[in-house]
Amino acid sequence: MAEDRSLPEHVTTPLLSLITQQALEEDYRSVAERRLREGGAQERPPSRAVAAVVIAVFGILISVAAVQNSRNEEVETAGRTTLIARIGEARNDLEDRQARIADLTRENRQLTDSLAELGTVRVQAVSRLRGLQVVAGYFPAAGEGVRVVVNDNPIGDAVQRVTDADLAMLVDGLWEAGAEAIAINDQRLNPLGSIRNVGLAVHVNTVPLTPPYVVRAIGDTRTLQADLLNTTHGAQFFSLADQLGFEYSMDNVSELELPAARQRPLSSVESGTAEQRRDRGAEEEES
Amino acid sequence: MIAALGLLVGILLGLVFQPDVPLSLEPYLPIAVVAALDAVFGGLRAYLDGIFDDKVFVVSFLSNVFIAASIVYLGDQLGVGGQLTTGVIVVLGIRIFSNVAAIRRHLFHA
Repeated sequence: MAEDRSLPEHVTTPLLSLITQQALEEDYRSVAERRLREGGAQERPPSRAVAAVVIAVFGILISVAAVQNSRNEEVETAGRTTLIARIGEARNDLEDRQARIADLTRENRQLTDSLAELGTVRVQAVSRLRGLQVVAGYFPAAGEGVRVVVNDNPIGDAVQRVTDADLAMLVDGLWEAGAEAIAINDQRLNPLGSIRNVGLAVHVNTVPLTPPYVVRAIGDTRTLQADLLNTTHGAQFFSLADQLGFEYSMDNVSELELPAARQRPLSSVESGTAEQRRDRGAEEEES
Repeated sequence: MIAALGLLVGILLGLVFQPDVPLSLEPYLPIAVVAALDAVFGGLRAYLDGIFDDKVFVVSFLSNVFIAASIVYLGDQLGVGGQLTTGVIVVLGIRIFSNVAAIRRHLFHA
């Protein structure tokens, strides 16, 4: 390492050692040496006034720094206290919010449960509504079913004509046999429908019909005909038809389309439950 | 003796007047104090070594304070003020320790 030796000492010395060695200002030493060289005789009288002033400045620096620090300390303490208070508040707030989250989660779960229940109820209600709508003839209905064509006795007298009672008997038999929707000559029957004789003509839903009467009933084609013959009204109707010599035929149809029943406007019915109506009445009285 | 008197007077002046340090200079006050401390201990050691010199002391005091504050100011401008402060404190601390050790040797001969 020949080139290392050529480097000056202050370069090769480790930094920390250098700092330690040169802790004392080099200048003190060099000035002292110079003074010695120039002759130690001319010792100046030690006037330390400038050094004292610098020391005083040092004292001012220290005390100012200390004062400033203690002042800052107060501010910082106040700031810290405020911060701690704010942390506490925020933590309380957080706790409140977490409690609220828990509450809301619980409520949410309950609501989900009740939603599921209500969904089931709704599905049941909707299927019930559909059943009722079919029975009430609210919508046109389509499906497989049975068609019964009945006509007057072609050679008979007035007694041997098809009357409202005969058709009603047939319709009752069909309902009993499990028909879901019935129409006579495109007049859909529902619980409010009527079959009446006015003079010689049969009126269904107050619309006069002419023979032949086509009774169409939607139901299970596999069982409807047989069940009709087994019911009291069905059996009565067919024996009566045989006695009076009605022309009739009955066959299964794979696709029947029945129109909707005529809807009467409701004049007395109000919507809502009894409780809701009472509340509404109270509100109206108040206003 | 006169130095100790000067120190006392300075401390009293600072405590009595409690001057407000401008906010922009406030971060450099502690580092200036440490640099001044280094110069004072250096001067004390030189005094005990018998080679004390007023001019050297005054110049070293002022330049120490100014350079230390400048380094920290520069560090603040560069965003490494904290690290440079640490570096300055370490160097000055080592110097103070070794000077105090020399002073101790002079005073107690140990």
